[in-house]
Amino acid sequence: MALKPKLEAPAPLPPDVKRPEAPVRMYGVSKSYMPGSWALRNVSLEIGRGEFVFLTGASGAGKTTLLKLLFAAEQPTEGQILVLGRNIARLKGRAVPALRRQVGVVFQDFKLLNRRSVEENVGVSLDVLGSPRRRTRSRVFNMLRQVGLHERRAAPPRALSGGEQQRVAIARALVGEPEVLLADEPTGNLDPELSVEIIELMLAAADRGTAVIVATHDHSLLERYGKRVLRLEGGNLIDTRAGGLGAP
Amino acid sequence: MNRRLEMAALLAESSWHGLRAAGLAGGIAVATIATALFMLGAFALVVVNMEGLLDDFGRELQITAYLEEGLTEAEAEALAQGVGTVEGVEAVAYVSKAEALERFREMAGGAALLDGLEGNPLPASLSISLRPERRTPEGLVILQASLDGLPGIEELAHGQEWVEGYARLAALLRVAGYALGVVLSLAALLIVANTIRLGLFARSDEVEIFELVGASRLFVRTPFLVEGFIQGALGGAIAALLLALAFGLLVPELRYGLSFFLGNAAPRFFDFGELVRLVGGGAGLGLGGAGLALLGSRG
Repeated sequence: MALKPKLEAPAPLPPDVKRPEAPVRMYGVSKSYMPGSWALRNVSLEIGRGEFVFLTGASGAGKTTLLKLLFAAEQPTEGQILVLGRNIARLKGRAVPALRRQVGVVFQDFKLLNRRSVEENVGVSLDVLGSPRRRTRSRVFNMLRQVGLHERRAAPPRALSGGEQQRVAIARALVGEPEVLLADEPTGNLDPELSVEIIELMLAAADRGTAVIVATHDHSLLERYGKRVLRLEGGNLIDTRAGGLGAP
Repeated sequence: MNRRLEMAALLAESSWHGLRAAGLAGGIAVATIATALFMLGAFALVVVNMEGLLDDFGRELQITAYLEEGLTEAEAEALAQGVGTVEGVEAVAYVSKAEALERFREMAGGAALLDGLEGNPLPASLSISLRPERRTPEGLVILQASLDGLPGIEELAHGQEWVEGYARLAALLRVAGYALGVVLSLAALLIVANTIRLGLFARSDEVEIFELVGASRLFVRTPFLVEGFIQGALGGAIAALLLALAFGLLVPELRYGLSFFLGNAAPRFFDFGELVRLVGGGAGLGLGGAGLALLGSRG
C-alpha cells in the first residue's frame, strides 16, 4: 500500500529578509530660498517606524524648513525625500492631500479654525478621511480626554489659553493615528509639567508605530528622554543617536 | 450611513459654516446678484411686454385675396375652406361684396359719398390670417406663392412693407435684449466672482488649514461653490420680489405713459416659470462666480 508522502514543515524564513522601509528618508537634500543662501545643505537621514527623534538647533537653523519639506509644503532644491514611499520632489499637486492624511503636523502657530469649536477643530483630521460622524465624535472625545480638554470641547479656540490651543493642535495631529508625526515646537507654550505630558503622548504614538519628529529648543527635554537628536547648524545636520548633546 | 452620504453631510455642514462665516462679504454678494438680476429682470419685462404687443400686431397681419366676379356664395365658401387647408394659414374669413361695401361705408364716415354709385363695385374677398411662424417677409412670400393662381382668386394683397418693418423691429428688440442680457450677466458674473474671491481671501486661513490636514480639492472647494449657488438663488429671489414690488407700485402710476407703447394691452408681470428661471439664473450666476473665483486660487 502506497503511503502518501509525509508533508514537511516549511523552513522558517530567515529573519529580516526584507527590512521594512523607513517612513522618512532624505538623501542629499538641500533647500535654497534665494541664490547663494542655503536653508538646508546636503541633509541625509532615515527615521524608522516607531522611532522618536528630537530636531534641534538655533532659530533660523532650518528646523521648520526640514519639517515643511516632509509634508510637501516646500520642494527640495536638490536631493530626494521619501515619505511613506512617496517621492516629495516628484509628488503631483493632487497626490499631496493623500500624503498629508498620513502625516500629522503640529504647527508652531497652532493653525486652528477660529470659527469652529475645539471638537470640530480636532475632528477635521478625520472629516477629510471621510470618517463616519459617530466614530469621529467618539475618537475626538477620547483624544481630547488624553490632552485634558474634553470638558472644553464646545469652546472656540480663542476662548482657550495658548497652552490649551497647543494641546488642541496636538490632538488634531494625533487623532488620525498618522504614520508620521511632525511637531514644530509643540511645548513652546506649555509649562514643564504639561510639556512632559504632551511628550508622553507623542512617545505613546511612537510606541504604536508612528515615526515622530519633534522640533524643540527645550534642552531639558532632550536630556530627560535620551532620544536620538538631529541638530541643525546653519542648514547642516549633525545626527546624534542618543541625547545629552549639551548646550549649543 | 454610506460613505458618500457621510461626505455629502460633511460638505453641507462645511458650506453652512462658510455661509455663516461669509457675513458682510456674503451679504454684499447677495445684494450684487440681486441688483444685477433686478436690472436684467426689468429689461426682460420691457422686452416681454413689447414682444407681446408685437405678437398682437402680428395677429392682425392678413393677406387679402380678392375673388373673381361672378363667383357664387357657395363657390366662395368652398374656396375659403380650400385656402384654410394651405400650410401656414391660421384662419380664413369670407367677406362678401355686400359686407365689403358696408365696411367701406363705415370707413368713409357715412352713406352720402356712396349714394351716387350704381351697383356695388367692391369685390368679395377672403381675409387670410397667418400662423405666428409665417409672420415674416419670407413666410409671406411662400404663402403668397401657395395661394397665387388658385382658381377663383383674382388678386392677392398684403402689407409686405409693414411686415418687414414688424419683423425688423422684433428682431432688433430680441438682439438688443440678448446683447444687454449678455453684457449685464457678464458684469454681474465678474462682480460676483470678485465678491466671492474677497470672501475666499477672508477665509484663506481656513482653506490653508484644510489643505494642511490633507483635505482634497473637492472638500475645500465644494463649500464655496454651494455658498455661491445659495447666495445667487437668494439674490435671484430678492430681485424677483423687488421687481414684483416695483411692478405693483409703478405700473398704475405709469399706465398713461405706457399706453403709448402698449396700446390697450395690459402690462403683464413674469409668470411662475419665468420667475423660476430668474431665481435659477441667480443661482447659476452665483455658482459661476464662485467657480470663476476658485479658478485662479491655489486651494
